[in-house]
Amino acid sequence: MKKHGYGIGNMWYGVGNTAAPNPSGAFVDFLDDGTVIVLSGCADIGQGSSTVLAQIAAETLGVGLENVAVIAADTEVTPDAGATSASRQTYISGNAVRFAAEKAREQVIAQAAERLNLPADNVSLKDGQIWHQDEPTGTKIQDVIAQCRSKGILTLGQGWFNPVTTKLDPLTGQGAPYATYAFATQVAEVEADTETGVIEVKRIVAAHDVGRAINPQNVEGQIEGGCIMGMGYALLEEVAVNQGRIENPALSTYLIPTALDIPEMFPVIVEDEEPSGPYGAKGVGEPALVPTAAAIANAVADALGIRLYDLPLTPEKIVAAIRAAAEESELGLNG
Amino acid sequence: MDRFPLHMKVNGTQMTVDVDPGMRLLDVLRDVLGLTGTKEGCGEGECGVCSVILDGKIVDSCLVLAPQVQGREIITIEGVARNGELDILQEAFLEAGAVQCGFCTPGMILAGKALLDKNSHPDRREIARAISGNLCRCTGYAKIVKAVELAAARRSGKEGATGA
Amino acid sequence: MLEGGVVGQSVQRVDGLVKVTGESYFAADEKVPAALVLKVLRSRVAHAVVKRIDISEAEKIPGVVRVFTYADIPGENSYGIMVKDQPVLTDKIRFIGDAIALVVAENPDAARKGAEAVKVETEELPPLYDVWSAMAEGAPPIHDKGNILTVGRVKKGDAAAALSRADVVISRLYRTQRVEHLYLETEAGIAYPEHNGLTIKVSTQNPHYDRRDVARVLGLPMNRVRIIQTPTGGGFGGKLDISVQCFLALAAWKLRRPVRMLYDREESFIATAKRHPFIIDYTSGANREGQLLAVKVRIIGDTGAYASYGPATLIRAAVHATGPYEVPSVDIEGLCVYTNNPFSGAMRGFGTPQMAFAFESQMDLLAQALQISPLEIRRRNILRPGSATATGQVLSDSVGIAKTLAAAWEKACQVMPGLGGENQ
Ligand code: FES
Ligand code: FES
Repeated sequence: MKKHGYGIGNMWYGVGNTAAPNPSGAFVDFLDDGTVIVLSGCADIGQGSSTVLAQIAAETLGVGLENVAVIAADTEVTPDAGATSASRQTYISGNAVRFAAEKAREQVIAQAAERLNLPADNVSLKDGQIWHQDEPTGTKIQDVIAQCRSKGILTLGQGWFNPVTTKLDPLTGQGAPYATYAFATQVAEVEADTETGVIEVKRIVAAHDVGRAINPQNVEGQIEGGCIMGMGYALLEEVAVNQGRIENPALSTYLIPTALDIPEMFPVIVEDEEPSGPYGAKGVGEPALVPTAAAIANAVADALGIRLYDLPLTPEKIVAAIRAAAEESELGLNG
Repeated sequence: MDRFPLHMKVNGTQMTVDVDPGMRLLDVLRDVLGLTGTKEGCGEGECGVCSVILDGKIVDSCLVLAPQVQGREIITIEGVARNGELDILQEAFLEAGAVQCGFCTPGMILAGKALLDKNSHPDRREIARAISGNLCRCTGYAKIVKAVELAAARRSGKEGATGA
Repeated sequence: MLEGGVVGQSVQRVDGLVKVTGESYFAADEKVPAALVLKVLRSRVAHAVVKRIDISEAEKIPGVVRVFTYADIPGENSYGIMVKDQPVLTDKIRFIGDAIALVVAENPDAARKGAEAVKVETEELPPLYDVWSAMAEGAPPIHDKGNILTVGRVKKGDAAAALSRADVVISRLYRTQRVEHLYLETEAGIAYPEHNGLTIKVSTQNPHYDRRDVARVLGLPMNRVRIIQTPTGGGFGGKLDISVQCFLALAAWKLRRPVRMLYDREESFIATAKRHPFIIDYTSGANREGQLLAVKVRIIGDTGAYASYGPATLIRAAVHATGPYEVPSVDIEGLCVYTNNPFSGAMRGFGTPQMAFAFESQMDLLAQALQISPLEIRRRNILRPGSATATGQVLSDSVGIAKTLAAAWEKACQVMPGLGGENQ
């Protein structure tokens, strides 16, 4: 028999290292022709940090994305940005880049204000131009940079950010281990086959509070990838270790989800802005996967009326649990 | 083992190379021809990052030996763009956000191409089946399926029918 | 602040073009003329002392250039992001897969034959394959300081008293498994002497940390080591540790030659970190209205032979053990324990996916016992602006859980036709 079930998984996730300093630094160089180089130690491992850092620099400096080059993760030229871990790079390195870009921007704005005879507070940079309040002035950023150079001013910025945390009390663990937290709720729908024990995940809704999505498509990509990795964790994956030896160290014996296994996924981006984040952003890399197994396990329990306490929820375990429950209820009836 | 002359057409170019008969097609491509767009992830036919198109069919090049491709035609990821212009599929992968780390991407694009070359209107299930030999650990596949759908729609002139 | 610009736009990735054309050079794609290749001889036993290593036969094999052992490390023979407990090449074996010798050769075949020809004499020690035997009194210490690496505690209020007053108490034992990151690109890198120092191009999540530990192992100042991250084919936490970096460094530095190294899939499984398996003993208490009063949680994480990110995983697990709920009294303990299993480290979520499985199961069990809906019990307990967490941190801004719960439920009601209202 096939039974449907629904389950909720909530999660929270402190962004950055736990109760430990984890600063990130960046340099931004606004070049003569109005293009920009961002130097950051942040390693893009596919999650898209170089793109996000380029967006933050472009936004801050009022230039198009095509004018920004990110040089990342080369210890001889880029400052330490800490690890690509703990979902910290958008929040922490994003801030470092924003601060570095703001320093370069200040130079340009000061010169522009002088040249146009405007109060610096009303001057901004956008679309490659100098703006006065809500109006473009017609003066190009590039021209102001040339003016800077003629005076011997380099439009360089350096920035760094370390999230505000405290240590935890060694006995009670009391303290503020993270400057901000990401939150998420996922709802899973499963179909459980009571004969074979096979669980099919039909749909996953995944609502994630990321503060602000710098790049919504990237955020969705993280959410979808996380849900599928979480589904593998819930149902499929286990490194079998016997007497210290890994028994399945191969892709033929350690199975992960394929394109045929995926449910319909509905990522929902929730933006509850974080005031200390770059343009309000927090992080999403890990949160994407954190509640998935929980939601699926709750959905399986809802479908079967039986709860399992050991991951992964393999067909063998499901069948054994159904059998055990049947035996128990029979005993109950007979007794 | 004695080397032998291997004649094949790679990305439209007829060529002959002297190789060891025990060599895998994957190594011929990567080490002899320098076509490193084809990746290795397992060496046992399980991950698909080594996928190439052999006479119109998608194959794992880690499981194919050099003598098996004698006189045949191979397309690798380097042969998908023409004269510096991206293929519709490559564009669709970029637009749909189907690329994260990019390690599965060459194989995925080729699997998508092999499908679309035969079936111009695949449904979602057919797309999933066509790429089911190609693992991706980053994207959760959804945007890859979307990219192939988008490319299919564009190829048959229904620009943007599925949206990006 | 400017709005309506490029922030918030789904722009295409800046590195996308080379990834769709096959021109992105991952570490294994780097072309290095005359590079030597490396192969590690790894232990087949789990716990032993290395008595003698005989490399004489191995060095006679044609194509083998050098064989290195622990005696050849110029600096400190230890690395680790949190605890420097992992040797590059070991004289004490702590898991099946520990690195004993490094063979440098002209081709992979010679490297493999060389590794097979290294003779290692060991004296085996009793292996500890589970956390209970590792924690038992008199267990042989895997590392000098004993087998309990860290104990993290989060305590607030009087959890025992609160549980005794609770209308409903749920206690369950949860177990989670060890899993592999399975990034599709296995560990790889190249290294070559350059200027006055050494350059390593490697697939990594943390080049600046790599620099610290490579400099430490070579005994070089940090400014003579350059790490360049190559496009990295996934990481998920598994490429935060040192993998090939120190092997590459040792061989390239000692021989003054370019070298390259690539793990095959099996070595990638055996020699790198996994997600921590957890045992979680979880007790929750709530009042009749479904309000959480207290939780008591004991977490034991098997970190295997080396610390890697184990301490960070267990403390994060403890800090997040309540879930995103306001719980006035907590008594939480997270133990990070050494065993002779493959080591566990960082993996996407750092212990929190394990905890979410436990705390969210507990929430559903409480809801069931109190006959309220899973949605409702969560609504009644979620963190809100002004709430205090288990560590006593009062949250002020960006506490989005009420919004995600509402948004997810609303969407689920639209797309899951069978869901049919929250009280089902
Ligand atoms: S490398 Fe060929 S299938 Fe994995
Ligand atoms: S994008 Fe990384 S494996 Fe597919």
